[in-house]
Formats: sequence, structure tokens, C-alpha cells
Amino acid sequence: MTNEFAQQGKDVGMCLCKVCRNINPIDQTHCSRCESKIQPRNYASLQHSWALLITAAILLIPANIYPITIVTNQGKVTYDTIYTGIVHLVHLDMFPIAIIVFTASILVPLLKIVGLAIYLSAITFNLPLPKKKLMTGFHIIEWIGRWSMLDLFVIALTVAVVNMGQLLDAKPAPAATAFALVILLTQLAAKVLDTRLLWDRLEKNNDTN
Amino acid sequence: MDGFSFYMPKNLDQDTIILCRSCDLAVQRRALPSNVRALCPRCHTALYDVPYCSINGMLALCIAALLFFIPANLLPVLEIHFMGSIRATTVYETAVAVWNHDYWIVAIAVIASAVLAPGLLILSILFQIIIVKLKLQSTFWQKTYKRLLKNHELLSQLSMLEIYVISFLVAAFNLSDFAEIYLGMGTLSFGILFLVILFLQREYNLEHMWGMVHDK
Repeated sequence: MTNEFAQQGKDVGMCLCKVCRNINPIDQTHCSRCESKIQPRNYASLQHSWALLITAAILLIPANIYPITIVTNQGKVTYDTIYTGIVHLVHLDMFPIAIIVFTASILVPLLKIVGLAIYLSAITFNLPLPKKKLMTGFHIIEWIGRWSMLDLFVIALTVAVVNMGQLLDAKPAPAATAFALVILLTQLAAKVLDTRLLWDRLEKNNDTN
Repeated sequence: MDGFSFYMPKNLDQDTIILCRSCDLAVQRRALPSNVRALCPRCHTALYDVPYCSINGMLALCIAALLFFIPANLLPVLEIHFMGSIRATTVYETAVAVWNHDYWIVAIAVIASAVLAPGLLILSILFQIIIVKLKLQSTFWQKTYKRLLKNHELLSQLSMLEIYVISFLVAAFNLSDFAEIYLGMGTLSFGILFLVILFLQREYNLEHMWGMVHDK
């Protein structure tokens, strides 16, 4: 048995502290170095993660339907959603900027939600998916997710300098809050999840375990 | 599977065992050459590397970061000229502008990730270095040290200077359609602050810092 399968911490009676990465005996409730609470597995984290992810998925709809900025240019008011903002950039022939904004505000949130949903389903419904690829995807999601903040920073900068009344004026609009919450909730969903849960089940066909 | 037998002898030596934080695999810790990272043989998460955590180097970077933090946050980072009127904004004022339009969640996100988190990160590392360098071993200082280490990861995840730097570019290109854009000393300081913090974070090794806790 020991040579056939990889030994995990819980098989050898040890538990990693998630905060300071100290290794503790499995019967302890708190880390001996940093006194944080430790658990060999956090089964509840799966539900937390699902809840946060579903909320984020729902908020993604208002974030994309409602306008994210209101621009007044010489008395003419335009409501820009995330998508029309990018279309506007394409019309101005600013392709590199359009690609950056498209990636940060449309592609990344969407892929993050879909990716996390696949990852969580693989744990919840015991889907026979290759775990190594899932884990790589998860690390990419963790790293790239923060880049969605780009759009909010751009809005904040624009709103701060463009305030000349009827001549030229920019205001944030309701989608900004929804979008901020989508970023926050998806980042939290990835952070609270105990990824060790994926690796407990043995998968003989797809991955060596 | 035969590749794993090397990492997983039948009887793991209890003293040098480490566990993968992503998949809980038990791996025998071995010495590594410099510039090499140990990856988990099962899920390829980075496990550990050789700490290149020079306290004096970090102290120098910390002081440099503090010096650039002040102009980066006090000087305007973006200035536009439009039909004779001039508008300039500092990083802090961008958050205030959004707050004044009642989008306070967005404002908090901006101020936390562009001003508060980087500032607290620099101060936190500075205090850690002072505690280690002056060998402050009383219970109070050791408790403070542990508390700083515990919050380090949160602060470094919250600080998003690199994204803010890119957002200058995007905002400048966006606005160049209407108005003339000027980037000043504030922008330069902010860019340098980003670089200094980037190097500081590369130098910093949380596990190495945990190793310097003095327990009685």
C-alpha cells in the first residue's frame, strides 16, 4: 500500500499549518509555532467556495449589462458598459489597449468563474478529470484574477481627472460596484478552498496519485 | 509512478518531512542548489527554494521604498489639459473621487490595493527586520513579530501596484482621445516604488522569516 500510492500528511499523522507552513502532529488543534487553528482537511471550505462562486456568477450579469461609466461630452451623455467601452477603443484603433482591457475585464472574470466551477465540480461530483491539469489551472486562476482590478483603477483615474461639468465629465455607474464584488468574491472563493480535498480520492485512469 | 519512489521511501524520516500545501503529499526535504525550486512531484506546486533572504539587502530596499512612497502618494500621478482647464490627481484623490460619487466599495478597493496595502507591507517588513536585527527577544516583540508574519501574505496579495502602473497607461491612452495627457514626477515615483517593492518581495522569504522566531 505505501509503495503503491503516495503518502499524504494525514497518512503519516501530520498536518500542515496553512498560515506559517509549520508541520504539526495531526492530533493538535492549533499550530505549535503560530497558534493558528489547524485542520487536516477543511470539508466546509467546499461549500464556502461554492457559495462565493455562485454569488460571483450572479453578480457577473449586472456587471456586464449595466453601464460602468457615464461620460458627458459637450452635453451629450453616453452610458458605457464594459463591452461598449472596448468597442469604442477598437474604433479608435487602440488595439493593444483594447486587448488588455478585454482580457482583464471580460476574459479573466469569465474564465475564472468557469475554471473554479469545473474545479469545484471535480471535487463535489467526483468527476474523473486529470488532477494535475486542474491544479495548474487553479494556480493560474489564483495569479491572474487580481488583474481584473485594472478596469476599476482606470475608472477611478478617469473619474478623478475628468470633471469639467457639461464640457467633459465622467462618472462611475452601477456596474462598477457589481464588478468590484465579482473580483472580490472570486478571489475569496479561490482562497478559502482547501485544495487538498481534490487529492484524497484515488484516480486510477487519469492520473497517478 | 516509478519517479515517485525516489521521493517517497517506505519510511519517511520524520525530521525532514514536508507537506505540499496544495495536495498534502508527504515529501522528503533535500538540499537544493541555488536558483532551483522544489516542485511537488504530484501536483507541481512550488514547495520550497533556497532562501536568498539577505536582511541588510531588504533593509536597504525598505528604506528606498519608504522614500519613494511619499512622493508617489503626494505628487499628482496624472494631469490632463482640456480646453484651457487643467486637472491633476494623486493616487489617494482617485479613490476620494469615486467615494464622492457614492461608489464606496470601489473606492475602498482602490485605496486598499494601491495605498494602504503597499504602505503597510513596507512598514511590516521594516519592523520585522528591526526585530531580527536588534535581536529583540522579549515576549512583546516576539508576539508582534509573529503577528506581522501571519498577516504578511494578506498584505502582499492585497497590494496591486503593478496593476495600477498598467492602469496609468490604459487611462492615458483612453483620455488622449479628448485631451492632452501629462505624466509627472508622481508617476515616475510610483513606477519606481512598484519596482522597489517587486524586488523587496523577491528577496523576502516568509519561511526563512518564520525560522527566526525565538521561542523559549
